[in-house]
Amino acid sequence: MLTVLAPLHYGLASMEYDLGPEAAALRGRLRALVREHVPADYLGAFTADPADLAVAQDFCRLLADEGLLCMAWPEEFGGRGASLWEQTVVREEMWARHEPRGAQYMGVNWVGPTIMRHGTPEQRAQHLPPIARGEVIWCQGFSEPGAGSDLASLRTAARPDENGDGADDPPPRDPPPRDNGEASRGGGSTSRYGRAWRIHGQKIWTSYATMAQWCFLLARTSTSGRKQQGLTIFLVPMDAPGIEVRPIACMMGPHHLNEVFFDGVRVTERDVLGEVDGGWAVVQEVLAFERVGIARYARCERLLQEAPEALGDAWEELPAELRGRWARMLVHARRARLLAYRVVSRQGTGQVSPVDSAAYRIAVTRLDQESADVLMEIVTAAETAGDDGARFRRAVEDHARYAVASTVSSGSIEMQRILLSRALLAASGAPSSGQPRAAAPAKAGAAS
Amino acid sequence: MTTVTQGAVDGLAAGGGVLMELSDEAAEFGRTALRALEAAGGDELAQTAEREPARRAELVVPVLDELGAWDLDPRGSADELEAAAALCRAAGWWAVPYPVAERLCRPVGGGADALVVVAPAAPAAPVAGLDLRLAAVALDGRRYAATAREPDGPARKSAFVVSLDLAPLAGAIAGAPAGGDAGDEDGAGADGAGDVALGMVLGCWTLLGMLDRAMVLTRTYILEREQFGQPLARFQGVQFQLTDAEVERAGVAELAGYALWSVETGRPEAVDDALALRLAAVEAAETVFRVTHQLHGAMGFCDETTLSWLSRYSQPLRRLPLGRSATQDALASRLGRRGLAGIFGPNAVMGAG
Repeated sequence: MLTVLAPLHYGLASMEYDLGPEAAALRGRLRALVREHVPADYLGAFTADPADLAVAQDFCRLLADEGLLCMAWPEEFGGRGASLWEQTVVREEMWARHEPRGAQYMGVNWVGPTIMRHGTPEQRAQHLPPIARGEVIWCQGFSEPGAGSDLASLRTAARPDENGDGADDPPPRDPPPRDNGEASRGGGSTSRYGRAWRIHGQKIWTSYATMAQWCFLLARTSTSGRKQQGLTIFLVPMDAPGIEVRPIACMMGPHHLNEVFFDGVRVTERDVLGEVDGGWAVVQEVLAFERVGIARYARCERLLQEAPEALGDAWEELPAELRGRWARMLVHARRARLLAYRVVSRQGTGQVSPVDSAAYRIAVTRLDQESADVLMEIVTAAETAGDDGARFRRAVEDHARYAVASTVSSGSIEMQRILLSRALLAASGAPSSGQPRAAAPAKAGAAS
Repeated sequence: MTTVTQGAVDGLAAGGGVLMELSDEAAEFGRTALRALEAAGGDELAQTAEREPARRAELVVPVLDELGAWDLDPRGSADELEAAAALCRAAGWWAVPYPVAERLCRPVGGGADALVVVAPAAPAAPVAGLDLRLAAVALDGRRYAATAREPDGPARKSAFVVSLDLAPLAGAIAGAPAGGDAGDEDGAGADGAGDVALGMVLGCWTLLGMLDRAMVLTRTYILEREQFGQPLARFQGVQFQLTDAEVERAGVAELAGYALWSVETGRPEAVDDALALRLAAVEAAETVFRVTHQLHGAMGFCDETTLSWLSRYSQPLRRLPLGRSATQDALASRLGRRGLAGIFGPNAVMGAG
């Protein structure tokens, strides 16, 4: 006869996977704001209905008023230096609810922080307050028809404005333009704001370009040296003469994809972020801000968890095999969340490895697509119940349309595989813990 | 082992967050175990045991005795549970031909030497030829005394798996509820569920060690093996297969940590978490062994490569108590409509959970 087993009693754990009461409180606050200020059927800012964009703009201003929009920013720029984990909670809650910040997350997550690091006092004063107030939309001018994953091959050129006399320059602002003594580099004629260029070229896949006020533009200022050299970041107002935006009809809906044409757009040294010809290093930092990127797993988990309620009694009528796949997707959602937490925890110690971040990106983008397949099958196999059920069905359909792009956008899954394999194979050997972790760095890939 | 006192999150705003690492003591114990098992024969342990099945206990048990493995009380403290997990991972690395996880899970009280999680319809475990008193527990929390039958084939084919005869224990419940938070009057139901979670989680840590090793072996092989004048590792078709396998392995490592934490903190959904881990682990094992075999080419089938041994001895861990499909069914049945604990849904833990 066996002895009756003792109950499990444990001492304090060294591991902890619950973010605790502060996270719960933050989630609760964000969810209450969403419930009160975002319509239940909201599926993002980028629809044919301008009211959806207005929802996002209003919500951003609300978050700004509540001190929640730029909470991660340093105090000197109007934030409160929120921890990486607080940022994680915000990222999860916003993406799960179809990102009610609209396009603002780009300004908050990486445009603002990059300007903090590389901007002049004038650029900081001009750009950071509107981002912090949730009043401005930025778009990213990186990808081109001939330069996607191979971003450094871009051809949009900023050529010295030989004939410019500065007559087109806007009126001066204080403080005066900088003089960094590098007039001989990167070409450019002079104007009251230093050197001037004319930009010619085309960008593509530019989200939000139709509604953006500013473009974070990467253009070639020199053709000498390696292709990564001779690139410069320009902060360009989208209403500048010579810019034309053409929407691209796509399955994700309006506003997601656009072409942006630059036909002699005049920029000056005042519009340069960082160093002339030094844009590639800035781009690497931008990509570093996106190491974790969108918390795609959060929307997957929310939709998967809501499926049984949305189907009501019909849930039990689903094929057992489909409910099994649903359970499997929940496991994969948890897996992706934990892989994201691994990256965040290493960010906290400054030890992020491409092994961690690329593994997460591969797992989460595949989750996005596989969960979309399962959810679409669920809402097709049975009637959804009532208004909530109908809203759920539309949310699933939107998720499925959007998930198609997840392995392509912001660095394709192939680029992530290249980064991961490079890091795995470059490692000097397996550590004694037995985990085939690599420590060797690999160059970051390009974003679209 | 010392008791680790750090546990609570330091505070979200202060930078505190999830703690995903085993305690330092547990991790060091795992490294010590890895070295000790290597010194005792390493990869040759499985080969010798297969040649001389009667010796397999004497090949392994003295090392574990010296490590103090049986002094660990994985039911008694979080730190010792983590040390047990680290030991299982080390055992998996060397494909140790001995039921280490099962012995670490043994019931309290000395009534049995090992605990196995079984599917009552076809109970089996890799315990052939061992003089062990066995306890068994089914996924529903029912407990049994178990007796191993005689092996019906050589270890080379069976990987030491034998069928078990089960005898229900007096006092065992006739079906513990999902979640394991209730039971009969003496609390046996809750304990039974706890046994299920503990047994499955430590088994998955063993399988994780095998996946770790298979990946490292394959990395080394493709860096050394040349075709068309260059290492296999230069071919993108090879690289991408390696990355897909690594994503699977890395995911299991994270879920293994989570499920261990779930057991050590006595969470009511620990069995859900154990099944979730097991589903991911079995699925990952399919990918990892398919890829690592493919990248080893014909060498991977040969006894002179360690992968061949790892692959064969991973089979019991992947098939028992339930294979991939049955594990998925069992998880879906348990979850019903409530889903896994996470940040959303009726089973949500708002912090992160």
